[in-house]
Amino acid sequence: MNNQNQKIFCIIPAFNEEANIARVLDDVKKIINNIIVVDDGSEDKTAEKAQKKGAIVLRHIINRGQGAALQTGNDYANKNNADIVVHFDADGQFLAEEINDLIKPITRKEADVVFGSRFLEKKSNIPFTKKRIIMPIAKTVNKLLAGANLTDPQSGFRAMNRKTFSSLEIEQDKMAHCSEIIFKTFNNKIPSKEVAITVIYNDFGQKFSGGIKIFKDLLLGKFID
Amino acid sequence: MLQQTIALIIIIFFVLRIIYQRQKEKISTQEFIFWFIFWIIAGLAIGFIKQIDNFVARLGFSGKGIDILIYLAVAILFYFVFRLRIKIEKMERNITKIIREIAINSDKLNKK
Repeated sequence: MNNQNQKIFCIIPAFNEEANIARVLDDVKKIINNIIVVDDGSEDKTAEKAQKKGAIVLRHIINRGQGAALQTGNDYANKNNADIVVHFDADGQFLAEEINDLIKPITRKEADVVFGSRFLEKKSNIPFTKKRIIMPIAKTVNKLLAGANLTDPQSGFRAMNRKTFSSLEIEQDKMAHCSEIIFKTFNNKIPSKEVAITVIYNDFGQKFSGGIKIFKDLLLGKFID
Repeated sequence: MLQQTIALIIIIFFVLRIIYQRQKEKISTQEFIFWFIFWIIAGLAIGFIKQIDNFVARLGFSGKGIDILIYLAVAILFYFVFRLRIKIEKMERNITKIIREIAINSDKLNKK
């Protein structure tokens, strides 16, 4: 693998993450130099802390949601001629050293999009209801709506090559962007791959009610041209 | 008969109101035409409620004409709420575009 020749940007959307952002950036910096933190209207010191750590900070003056922040990062990376973007969370639930695993299939030209999966060989401490109820429902929805056969239906850890992130527009501002990216990848037959990742659960994350909201947002999005 | 008269008075009030609003240019011509036709149809429905009753009965419904009008009104209201929801969603997306432009452009300013 030769990452040196590739311009890789790590995009980290952050909303009120002053407690975690410095630690996350320290970890990511060991792997990637170009880090974009999209501060999504935080009311704490997230932006200042990220800036101090040397990240490029783009500030949403009001909160627009994680999907919106990721698209802002993609647009910025596109304008700055990035070859690959990696989407990473600011709350420290992903492991920075696994970024290389996500990039590898792209540099080897095996895939244009790589999704991190919590359900492959590595072990994550996924809460029971999430693993047994919420995830299977989300998986079925993905299968029905996009024919997407992914082991992890809602992973926020992903990498894309330039061809993909410059053309795949994230229109879902809130949490429905995960499903939207999967749908667009599969509907447009973009070559994709899943790699095993570890997720550390500090809180429950997306609840069942959140799942219903995602479904509602996706449905509403169908009526908007 | 009394109920019909009250309903017609209310409708006349709304018709006069939209004419006034149009004159003051508070609503567009398109909006005026839409609401004018809406209230005229509502007025006609009230005026010919007995005929509507008969028509509904001939169609095989047991309910009264006024019931059918209420069902229709609820359906139309649902449709309007849905349209409004889509309009709000479009506005939300446009707001995001503006916020994104500001975020990316202010980074350019920082670099200068």
